[in-house]
Amino acid sequence: MSFIEFVFAAVAIGSALGVVGFRNPLTGAFSLILHLLSVAGLYALLGAHFLAVAQVVVYAGAIMVLVLFVLMLLNLKRESGRKMGLLRGMVTVGIAGMLFVSVAGPMLSHFDNLSSVGLSEAAKASEGGVKAIGQALYGRYIVQFELSSLVLLIGVVGAVMLAKRKTVKLEPRQGGMGGE
Amino acid sequence: MEPVVSYLGVSALLFTIGGVGLCLRRNAIVLFMCVEMMLNAVNLAFVTFSKIHGNLDGQIAVFFVMVIAAAESAIGLAIILSVFRSVSSIETTDAAELKW
Repeated sequence: MSFIEFVFAAVAIGSALGVVGFRNPLTGAFSLILHLLSVAGLYALLGAHFLAVAQVVVYAGAIMVLVLFVLMLLNLKRESGRKMGLLRGMVTVGIAGMLFVSVAGPMLSHFDNLSSVGLSEAAKASEGGVKAIGQALYGRYIVQFELSSLVLLIGVVGAVMLAKRKTVKLEPRQGGMGGE
Repeated sequence: MEPVVSYLGVSALLFTIGGVGLCLRRNAIVLFMCVEMMLNAVNLAFVTFSKIHGNLDGQIAVFFVMVIAAAESAIGLAIILSVFRSVSSIETTDAAELKW
């Protein structure tokens, strides 16, 4: 890994830990923006320039503005909650380790029965330019592309429907189960 | 080829961090952000495999994941807002009316 790749990967991992760790959701949201930008940098280093730009515009721009807007609108306090005890921390680390092994194991064992020479030849041959992606999107994947516009339309209509619906005000939940 | 493989390790680590956050936190918006983070980790793996195999299909898949994530964020935040309007909180422990 070259130095710049290492920096982007380290910032991505550090800010991801920040999203999970910060008690204040607003700080977490800003940390997530940093995370998305550094992942966009990794895309650019991998030669996926179109995706890097789309990541900055769609994720770090549009989606995160929406999240920050909702966070500011709700005016939340810090998350209440107990401190993590030793037992809970150990269980968390155990679950994290199992999840990591079960995700990384299959991905890395993918290379066991592939010839690395052929793969590096293939990697040299491909150019992930915007033109090639555009040709694939409007050629082989035209049906899926049109369907994705339908998905976006349904998303917009669904959001408006959810926002316009009359809500029932529920009483605040008491501690423990009542009315047994 | 070795340096590209280390991207897969970064991707798995980011996925794990997102999953742990999903288990630990209770604020619905933070859970939403953790899901976005896991989607991003998968996207990174897609782009890496696309680079390794010299095939653009992985990048197309990332494009569609981004479309789904955009639609999901619109609907998800609308659901969070309407939950907030009915229980005045977005902590998942407070919106437990369906819990037996």
